[in-house]
Amino acid sequence: MTHNGISRYSMEIATALLTGGIGLAICYGAWQVGTGWTPSGPDSGYFPFWIGVLIVAGSVVNLLRTIVGHRHKDEIFLDAARLKSLARFVLPILGFAVVSLLLGLYVGTTLYVLFAMRLQGHYAWWRSLASGVAISVCFYLLFELVFQVPLLKGPLEHAFGIY
Amino acid sequence: MNNLSLLMDGFATILTWNHLLIMVIGVMLGMLVGVLPGLGAPNGVSLLLPLTFTMDPVSAIILLSCMYWGALFGGSTTSILFNIPGEPSSVATTFDGYPMARNGEATRALTLAFMSAGLGALAGVVMITLLASSVAQFGLRFSSPEYFAVYFLAFCSFIGMSSSAPSKTLVSMMLGLAFATVGMDSVSGGLRLTFGIPDLVKGISFLVAVMGLFGIAELMVTTEEGLSFNGIKSRIRVRDILRTMAELPRYWASLIRSILIGIWMGITPAGPTAASFMSHGIAKRFSRHPERFGKGEPNGIVSPEAADHSAGTSALLPMLALGVPGSATAAVMMGGLMIWGLTPGPMLFITRPDFVWGLVASMYLGNVVAVILVLSTVPLYASILRVPFAIIGPVIVAVIFTGVYQVANSTFDFWLLLFFALLGYLFKKLDYPVAPLVLTMVLGHRAEEAFRQSMVMSDGSLTVFWSNSLVTTIMGLGVLMLVWPLFSRMLGLRGWRRRLHRQQPQASKPATPDSRP
Repeated sequence: MTHNGISRYSMEIATALLTGGIGLAICYGAWQVGTGWTPSGPDSGYFPFWIGVLIVAGSVVNLLRTIVGHRHKDEIFLDAARLKSLARFVLPILGFAVVSLLLGLYVGTTLYVLFAMRLQGHYAWWRSLASGVAISVCFYLLFELVFQVPLLKGPLEHAFGIY
Repeated sequence: MNNLSLLMDGFATILTWNHLLIMVIGVMLGMLVGVLPGLGAPNGVSLLLPLTFTMDPVSAIILLSCMYWGALFGGSTTSILFNIPGEPSSVATTFDGYPMARNGEATRALTLAFMSAGLGALAGVVMITLLASSVAQFGLRFSSPEYFAVYFLAFCSFIGMSSSAPSKTLVSMMLGLAFATVGMDSVSGGLRLTFGIPDLVKGISFLVAVMGLFGIAELMVTTEEGLSFNGIKSRIRVRDILRTMAELPRYWASLIRSILIGIWMGITPAGPTAASFMSHGIAKRFSRHPERFGKGEPNGIVSPEAADHSAGTSALLPMLALGVPGSATAAVMMGGLMIWGLTPGPMLFITRPDFVWGLVASMYLGNVVAVILVLSTVPLYASILRVPFAIIGPVIVAVIFTGVYQVANSTFDFWLLLFFALLGYLFKKLDYPVAPLVLTMVLGHRAEEAFRQSMVMSDGSLTVFWSNSLVTTIMGLGVLMLVWPLFSRMLGLRGWRRRLHRQQPQASKPATPDSRP
């Protein structure tokens, strides 16, 4: 954190560490199932193991390029204003995922559209709510009736007897 | 001549009212996703794919491929009218398309773009018609080592042709391969890399990855930029369209050059985005009036559009004939083929000629339908962008979530989606290429199977990849691609790539207020 936001330098390092971590996890997982040779050819872990090694290698190069080359030292990845508008967008999505797990996708969609429109566009309550309900109804008509693919439902739909 | 009669059979398959209706729906949906920010062709095709699981494959591929054409056209529309590329591959169209529209010639700009795009696509389909059978015939000579070599060549050309740092391309590509291996091992039947999470047993679907990487991540970047649309009002007049069409033959040199660039970049996995940038750059370099570029030069619209669409179309040739897709959208479609129970590759030409040639025939017809539809409905789609982003953004997110749920009826995929969204956001902002990740995710299983079968054939010796002239040539080409950046730097050919690198970060952002009139 610099005084005017997150620097690109630190995000490059963080991302290289993230991808490197995934690479290590892949190597570990592959090593668990066996990376050697079996009578029927290479073991299941053989191919993923070397893929993992390549991910780690690439990540190390990215890390060193950033640190040794002092790349992107002065670039800003995200400043406070952008972070704020990004948070307004991302936090409702997180809420959407959690609510959908508990109450189903229809209730989740209604509430999500309601709050996202309030937060991002500062629309009136009734307008946001109406949009949310309208979109849920559209989804129901489109998916359940036209395409006949059921979406995730929760207690509310069960209470109304919609399956 | 044989190809021609097969093509006629293809037309016979698709010329039904049902298929024509599917074509129109596909193009309309495609234009919708092309116009909307954060929803591009790969994402749109991924969203639609779960709905096609029960359709017959010919109808399904017509729907998806027409959606692809529609999305390519939709992307150009927003580039010209709003200076916002709806698709990464239409970024280069903003350079001259938007200035021309701003000068009051919106109809001329749109017609030039659509007509040259249509011609580019048609040239791509003609190329596919002529070459598909021979490439497939050639592909029949391949066994496992050759197939692995082809995948190796595709992976290497990503590293060699990408505008990103090679190590970043490598990481992105290998992550895709790694995600593809999670779950059931298709060879031994055992589980791997599930880390004790039962939801990972079914594997990680590339569809979820696409929706996170291309969908949510794109929207995150868009929100951060704080989008405000400032479009040019356009009324499409038939007289202007006809006058522009009569003007088109004047740009024959640009057209032919761009189509050739597009076809080459589409067959090799460089893809439509690189093709359109390169084509615009070369048109400027060869022009007698380079100073007119960026101010609404017709050649600056014709070149990127023709290259973009011929590359987009040509990308389907290696997918069909060899099972190696040339672009992210082609990769998603190939994933669809496998879900429908078809195996892309040379055998498809023998087992399902009706499918292959039906698809080729639908490309001819679909592009014609697309050009007509796009010209007649541009004002409608342009009006969609006037709806505030605070309404459209959440609706797109909700559509993506329902799409993700439909992939496997699994709520665990919500978390995977968010993970891919984070990854995509970081990758986009830090100049990691995203398309290679999707391509390798679709190809992962096949690449691994080819590798393991080759290893069984050779009893574990890597020399099998250099054992005959064919496989050696392909592997050699791969290695050449890998070291290509070094060569081209020595020869001083890196100019266009650097320009692309410089232009892309600025151009992919919506225009800043000061660049507006």
